[in-house]
Order: sequence, then structure tokens, then C-alpha cells
Amino acid sequence: MKMPLLALLAKEPAHGYELKSQLEQIFGEAYPAPNIGQIYVTLQRLERDGLVRSQDVVQATRPNKRVYELTDVGREAVVEWVDKASDGPRVRDEFFMKLALSQLAGTSDQLGLINRQRRHYLAQMRSLSELAASADRSVPRLLIEGAMLHLQADLDWLQRCQEELV
Amino acid sequence: MISVVAGVVGALLLSAGLLQGATNPWQGLFTATRGAQIWLHLSPGTSVAQLRSQVGGIQAVAGPYQATAATVAQGSQRTRVELRATPSLPQVGRPLQVSGGWLTPRTPYGVVLEATFAQAIHIGVGDKLVLDNVDETSRLTVPVVGIAETADQGFYPDQTPGLIWVLPGLLRRIEPDTGHTEEVVGLRIANPAADGFIVQQVVTQLGSSAVGGISTWQQVEQSMARRNPLLGLLLALFGLMALGAALLAIINVTSGRVLIRNADLGMLKALGFTPAQVMVVLTAEHAILAGVGVLAGLGAARLLMPVLLGTVPGVSLASAALPGGWTAVIIGATFGAVLLATAAPAWQASRVRPVAAVRALPPRGHLSRLAGTAMAARMPPAVVLGTRAAFVRKLAAALVISGLAIPMLMITIGLGFWSTLDDVQHNPADIGLAASVTVSPGTLTPAQAGRLIQADPQIQAAYSCVRAEALTLGETTTITTLGMGTSARPYPFHVVAGQLYHAPEQAVATQALLTALHLSVGQFVRMWFGGVPVTFHIVGRIIDPQYDGEVLAYGRDTLADEGAPTPIGFYSLILRPGVSPAAAVTRLTRESDGRLDVAQVPNPADQLGIVHVALASLIAVLAVIGLTSLLTASLLGQRDHQRDVTVLRVMGLTPVQVRVALMMRTTVLGLVAVAIGTVAGRLVSMELVNAVSRLYGLGAGLGRPPSAGTLALAVALAISVAALAGILPPGPSSRMPAAAVLGP
Amino acid sequence: MIGAGDRLLLRAAGLTKTFSGDGVRVPAVRGVDLSLRHGEFAAITGPSGSGKSTLLHLLGGLERPTGGEIWLDGARVDQLSQARWAVLRRRRIGFVFQFFNLVSNMTVADNVELAALMGGSNRKQAADRRRELLGELGLAAKADTAPARLSGGEQQRVALARAMANRPALLLADEPTGNLDSAATFSVLRLLARAHADGQAILLVTHDSRVASAADRVISLFDGMVADDAPLGAAGGAAQASEMPLPRVLRLRG
Repeated sequence: MKMPLLALLAKEPAHGYELKSQLEQIFGEAYPAPNIGQIYVTLQRLERDGLVRSQDVVQATRPNKRVYELTDVGREAVVEWVDKASDGPRVRDEFFMKLALSQLAGTSDQLGLINRQRRHYLAQMRSLSELAASADRSVPRLLIEGAMLHLQADLDWLQRCQEELV
Repeated sequence: MISVVAGVVGALLLSAGLLQGATNPWQGLFTATRGAQIWLHLSPGTSVAQLRSQVGGIQAVAGPYQATAATVAQGSQRTRVELRATPSLPQVGRPLQVSGGWLTPRTPYGVVLEATFAQAIHIGVGDKLVLDNVDETSRLTVPVVGIAETADQGFYPDQTPGLIWVLPGLLRRIEPDTGHTEEVVGLRIANPAADGFIVQQVVTQLGSSAVGGISTWQQVEQSMARRNPLLGLLLALFGLMALGAALLAIINVTSGRVLIRNADLGMLKALGFTPAQVMVVLTAEHAILAGVGVLAGLGAARLLMPVLLGTVPGVSLASAALPGGWTAVIIGATFGAVLLATAAPAWQASRVRPVAAVRALPPRGHLSRLAGTAMAARMPPAVVLGTRAAFVRKLAAALVISGLAIPMLMITIGLGFWSTLDDVQHNPADIGLAASVTVSPGTLTPAQAGRLIQADPQIQAAYSCVRAEALTLGETTTITTLGMGTSARPYPFHVVAGQLYHAPEQAVATQALLTALHLSVGQFVRMWFGGVPVTFHIVGRIIDPQYDGEVLAYGRDTLADEGAPTPIGFYSLILRPGVSPAAAVTRLTRESDGRLDVAQVPNPADQLGIVHVALASLIAVLAVIGLTSLLTASLLGQRDHQRDVTVLRVMGLTPVQVRVALMMRTTVLGLVAVAIGTVAGRLVSMELVNAVSRLYGLGAGLGRPPSAGTLALAVALAISVAALAGILPPGPSSRMPAAAVLGP
Repeated sequence: MIGAGDRLLLRAAGLTKTFSGDGVRVPAVRGVDLSLRHGEFAAITGPSGSGKSTLLHLLGGLERPTGGEIWLDGARVDQLSQARWAVLRRRRIGFVFQFFNLVSNMTVADNVELAALMGGSNRKQAADRRRELLGELGLAAKADTAPARLSGGEQQRVALARAMANRPALLLADEPTGNLDSAATFSVLRLLARAHADGQAILLVTHDSRVASAADRVISLFDGMVADDAPLGAAGGAAQASEMPLPRVLRLRG
């Protein structure tokens, strides 16, 4: 939750509800509807960590709203997050978020993003191959094979993303 | 496939028709003219009105027509003719108009000539004819208004006199005395086999004194048939083999077509067609194609027959007409062949599982040692690969080879026949016809005749001959024997066994005579000449086609020595080389003021122009047949080849090499087939001719091998076509982009 | 970079190929630059329709490029005639297609030996090489079988043996493991790795990331053009070199 919010704020400052509706708009059904409470909690944590700062904006007819914006530190964090290759089984989501938001964030080109991710996967695949060659018991070998199959699936999906979005 | 079927059917029909015209023209003519099977020459005034009611089995009566003898004068030549008065175009025995028109009252003295007669005396429509009556008391010059054919009588000059149709007015003018005329009546009967019986009854009814002459259809047919039954049989055999080869070709092309469609069949089955339905679809499709082909062939034959016959004078469209039976046989056999050829592969295809591909299995063993060694020995890889590929499908290769070897065999045999015919035509001496002209003294004395002949520079040799009838024990008819030359100077017969007669009482005979008298060379035979017995020692066997092939010849001094009567004498003249018999005849006639009776010895081979045409068309059929086998093989080979081509390209074969490999398939098969066919054909052709001529009593020795030059040409052509067939039809994938062949 | 020296074995510049037929023009390859050193192993990946196979065919001389140049070992080859290409393919280039790699009317052994014979070996050398290659691929038992009787994967492996019979300087392969199960893939990879270690340059097209990851370099093709061309292993995140490259899934949860 942290990074998406930061990425959204990279575009322009916004308050909680605006962020919620932006998330819903971008990710629609695929992403569980964000809880406004969870958003505020995350924002507060981000502010505590110095990545965002908030400001109260006075409104005439309605209660005041708190508007958040990125600090320089926060901006750096966003850039770093986008540039770094992601890991783990939930990589897909993270990567996809990066892909979807990178245009908004204006941080890097999509093709480069995809290329970097692919290279990373391939490097992982290579390591896995080497590992598989030395594995002599079936359980670890199967695990490795499972991981390789996942990687293959990810690579295929990467290709699909490239076809659709680039 | 349609074109192949059409070509085969058309060619077979044409050839059969030509053969028919060559060997038995009577049938066609008879049908076309609605002929009469029996012709009677009766005394004038005999009534035939009651004949139909008195004698059973007569369908129609032609005539009676008044007829008389007359003479046609051409320069010094006089030819005897029969003038027949026909007031209107007869219904039975209707002459078939060849050119010009029929008799009309507008031209009361117009005449119509019978076709063979007109050809013999070189008279055509529009010419003028000089007619004399027998007593030479009246002479008329009349215009020729038409020429027609008839099945009433045999061909001139075998059958004399020549026939001329006239109007009754002209007949009366030429011969006013009815006593010198006769009546000609034709009878059309229901059952041709009963002609003898009906003749007996008619003669009984009319009285034998009224009947001057009788001829039946069998005599006419026999007389019209070309003198060489030998040839007829040979050509019939040939034709049968051609039919067989034709059917083989059709089988080849049909099953090839089915095999190629394998992928489609798989599709059909995948779509849900049952095996039975697939068979029906296939069979129906091919039957339809065959039907179209047959129709096209029929049409083509009908169109082409007149064209072909135009090259052979003297044979009419009608005489070359096939009886319905033959046509039905040819068409039936074609359909049968197509259905047979479809049935087997169709049945197999309907059983094949939808997915399986029918691929050729490679030979066992590593790159079949021969090929491997050849490759390692740096022989062109394309040649080796192509040759190997030709024999991968052993059965198919065998089919193709036989499909090409059989036609080649028969073409070689056909060429052998051709050169035999040519030999007979140019060297009549080989069949015993050394002399091309015979001369009877006519109105000159023998001495005068002899002097005239000695003086003629065109004559190389003259032999004084006699013809004598002899009786042998146990024979009811007489045998015509010939005293040709003398024992000291014998006539140069063509002796095939033993030797010529050199002393009195020595004789030579033909095989037919020997067989008829149960004799063989070396034996003795006793004969009676007008009561005088003579014993002959048979010293040799000859070939002579005259007198039905039954000839006994000896020196005429033998008869004189024995005191036997020596009747009819004539001279056999051998001309100098280069002198044409016609020229000699003209000259002699002129020299003697027409008083010498000069005649050309008919060379049976001269009537054989049509046979050349028949042979040529049969050879063409065979060539087409061989070509279809090759093309089928090529098509199947290409299908196998297409996928392999890209692999071969990748292995490093250049486009030229790929094309050569493809060509080699058919070329190799062609080479093998041509070698087999030609060698076997050369061996067989002479044996065939000799065997059949032995059968007909002419003995062996007639056969000639096919001319080396023509054979070499045929072989070269066949092999080139085989090579070309390998790369036709276009579609060589040697340059095709690999992607297009391989798929996505 | 693994390889014998820096001289380029293969260089393609601005390669384009447009198929035209029936009034439709299909640009399969739209400007590709590529280079391969001696002994280098590169993989080409990309979605179907990206022009991978066409590119390979262009480099093997099986298609004539619409534009651009190809240099093989310093000599310009894109305009060569089919005959000259054929000679090149005997010894210097080995090619494996996606389908129909074998002459259908010859046994497996004959196919491999024929390739060797075409390359100039004598019978004994050809037979020895055939035995060696088929043995490596586990197909020795099928030497006398007809290609039609082999499974797709077996055919593909024999094709590889065929292509490698003459130890060509450049091996081009189009989806060599496309129909294979993992055991067969493993044996193919082993063979390729050994050839690579012997100095063979390999350029193959593949969907399989395992195979791609075995290469020194991965070229990503998209829509007829090169989208990415990077060496594997070291770069692509030099920052991660210190990190554990294994995906999280391998850390046993629990």
C-alpha cells in the first residue's frame, strides 16, 4: 500500500478520498477496494517516516481536509522503487503497478521497465538452472522446477504486457 | 485425367476404325448402304415379283436392274465394264455417294462410277468417258456426274468388270438388243447365315437356266478383305495389346489421382463421412470424370477420322465405321478400368485413420551401401539422391516401369512391323513377287510377243511361264501349279528353305501347299495334268502370296518332257531397278498397239497405306500412355519431394542439384523401362511376325527388325521425355521460400 | 564474453523483410541490427508474429532480405545466389527448422550421415560422427527408424544432430526444444552447452526461458524490431549482484 500511494502523490498532492478514488479508478475490479481508514493510517506512517507532509486546507462550506504531498525524500523513494527490479511471488502485482503508474510518475519508459524485468527473470532462471543441475534430492528439485515454471509464466505474461501496453 | 481418358478412348476408336477399314471394310459399307446379301444375275425377262412370297426369309428385293457389258476406251487401253440401269436411287443396296451427284434426267447420258474402279482408271467427276458396246458398233462419250461406293461386289481390280450406274435410256442406246442384257437382282435377307439355303430355294423357284451368276455376301466380304490375313491378325494382336496398355495407363493415372487426394480424404472423414460414403464419393467423382473423358474421346474420334482417312485414298468413312459392338467394348473397358483403379485405393483410403499420413518408408540399412559409397566416391550427390528416391516406393516404381516399358515394347514391335511392311513394299521379291508385270500374248502370236518383250529396254529379265491345273489323289479340286521359267533358268523365287529347282521334275512349294498336301521338303508327290501323271521332288520352300499362298512351281520343261499339255502361257517380267511398273505397262501397251494384255502384279503392300496410318496412330496412343505413366510418377514424386526439398537445401544442395535430383527420379525409371521395352521388343517383333506368317503358311523369314535409326530416335525421345516429366508440371520447390513450405 | 577473439562472426545491419502477395504486404522484419561473435551463444525471444523465424531464415540464407546487409565472417553474403548459399550451408552454417527437418525417405542415421557426407567427410567419419551425436542425444536406438515413426521431439533432436554433423561455425535453430519434455530439453541443453564450450556460435529462437537463460545474450524481438539486446548474468541489475538472486518462493515458508 505504501508505494502506490507515494507513486500517486508523485503526480500531484491529494487528500485521502482522492487517493482512494484514484486507486479504484486505475485498478478497478482486480484490486480489492481500499479501505479509507487503511489509507489514512498508511499516509500517517509515511508522514512519520518523512516521505510525505500534510497540510490542512480550509474550506468554506465543509470541514477542513488534509492534503498530502511528497517530500524530496519521498520522491527519491518513488524513483528508487520504480527503478529497482521486484521480487517474490507477488511480484506481478508490484511490477504491474509500476508499469501502470510509471507513466503517471514520469519516472521511466515502459519498454525499459519491461526489458529490465525480463533480464532479471532470465538471470534468476539461469541461477535456478544451475541450482537444478546440482540438486540431487527430488524435493528440492521439484521446488526449483516449480519456481522455474512460475518464472516462465511470468515471462510469458511480461510478453503479453508488452503487446498490450507498449 | 479427363484428357488422358479422352486421348486414350479417342485414339483407340480411331485405330480400331482404321484397322477395320484396313482389314474388313465390307461390314461398314454394308451397313451404310443397307446392302443386299445376295446378288443374282438373271436372264432378261425373268420375273422376280413372286420371289418374296415364294421364298421365306427375304426382307427386300433390289431391282431387277437391267445390265449389260461394255468397254471403256482410254487411248489404247480398253477396260471391260458392266453398265447397270438404275432409274432411281435404290433403297436396298443404295450406293454411297463419294463425290458428285446421282443420275438425273437432266443429264440423260450422265454416269456414276464405282469408287475403286474410278480410282483405278483415274477418272473423276466432270471427266468424259468413252463407252463402246461389246461389238464395238456404237461409241458414246458421256460425262461422269458422280462417284459412289457399294457393298454389292468386291473392289476393282480384284473384281472385274468395273461397275457403272446409268439411266435406262443410256443403256438402251448402247445396247438396244435386250438379248445381250441381263437382269441384276439383290436380295436382302433376315438371317445372313441362311444365305446358302435361300440361294438354293431361289434357284429352284426361278429355274437354273435363268440364273447366270450368284454372289453372296461372304464372297464379297472375302474379296474386299485385304489379301493379307496375316496382317489382319498381327494388327489385331497389336491392337489388343494396345488396349491392355491403355487400360494400364488409365489405372495408373486414376490411382495416382486418388493417392494425391489423400489429405482431402482425411478431411472428409474428419468431417464425419463414413468409409462407405467416402468410397462412393470417390468412385462417383472418377466415374463422372471418366464419362466426360469418354464423350470427349468419342467426339474427337468422330472429328478426326475423316482427317486421317484423307491421307489414305481408297478407304471411305463408311468402311472405317466400327460396328457398335467394338465401340461398346472400348468404352466399357475404359469405364471398367477407371472403376477398378478407383476401387482399390478408395477402399484403402476409406480405411485409413483420419490423421495418419501415408508416407514412404525408407529402405532398411544405412544409406543403402551403394548410395553411400557413390556419395563418398564424389559422384554428384543430386544424381545419387534422385536415383535412390526413385526406388523408395518399390511397388510404385514397378508400376511406373511397367507402365512405360510395355508401351515401349509395343512401339518397338510396331516399328518392327513398319519396317517389315516397308520391306515388303520395296522388295516384293522377298515375298515372292520378283516380277511386277505379267504379259499375255493377247491378240499377238507368242513369237511376236516374245520379240516385243526382248526388244524392250525397260525389262531386266523375262520368264516364259505356264499355269496348269493339276489333280492329286484325294483332292476334289484342282491345284493351280506354275511352270515358271525353265529348269535351266528358273524364276527367282524367294527360297527360305532348301533350294530352287534346277532339274526337271524338281519343284518348290509354299508352306500352305505343303501343309494342305501333308508334304514336307524332300518328299515326292504325284500329280495328274490332264490325265498325264508327273512326279515332283520337292526341293525347296518358297514364299508367294498369290493363289491364296498355295503355290507349286517348277520348270515348264518338266511338263513338256512328260508330255503333259501346256496350256496358258504368259510372261513374268522383272523390270530394271528404278523403272515403275506403271510406266512399263504403258510402254508395252503402246508398243503393241494395245494388243498385248499387260497387267501389273498387284503388290499387297500397296494397299497398305491405311495400315501405316493405323500403326502410326497406335504408336501415338502408346506414346500418350507412356507419358501418362511418367507424369503420374512425377506428380507422386513431387509430392514426396516438396517437403524434403527445404531440408536438402539446408544441407547444402544448390537449386540446380535439387532440380537434378527431382529429374533423376523419372529419368532413372525411364531408362530402365526403355531398356527393357526396347530390348524385349526387338527380340519379340521378328519372332511375332515369323510365328504368325508360319501360321498362315507363308513360312518364316518375313520378319524384319525395326530400323536402327528410328529406334534410336524413339529411345532418345522417350528418355528425354522421362527427364522432362520429372520437372513438369511447374511447381519445383527448389526456389520456394522455406517459410511457405514449412508453415508458420 | 565467451568467445574466440573479438572478430564478428555474424553481423546484420538494417535487415528488413517484407512479404508481398495477393496485394497484401506483410513486413515481417523491420530494421534489425544484430551481431554475433565467434563462439557466442545468443537467444532470440519474442511473441509469435514478431519475426523471429523470418529473421533466422534471413540469416541462414533461406530468404533474401528486402533491405539491409548481412556479413558472415567479414564477407558480405546477403546478395549471394542460392547456389553459393548452399555451399555455405554445407560446412559453415547449420540450420534447424521448427518442422520437417528430416528427409522423409531416409532413416535417421542416413539423414545425419548424409549431412556429414555433403560436408566432405568420408563414410567412416560420417558414421562415427553420427554415432557420437545420436548417442549424446539418447537416440542411438532409433538410428534405423524412419523419421515418420519418431515423435516430434525425437525428430527435432535428430535434426539438431544433422545440423551439427559438420561442426559448423554458426548454428541457427528455430525452437529446437519446442516439442520437448523437460528431460529431452535437458539433453538438448547439454549438447548445446558442450558445443558452446567447444567454441560453436549458436543463435537460437526460443519461447523457453530455461533455454534462453542458458545463453550469453538474449535478444528480444517485438513487431519486427529489436526491443532489447542485453547480455545475461552480470548486467541487467548490477545492483542486484550482491543480492540473493533466488526468488522468494524458494525460501521455505513455514
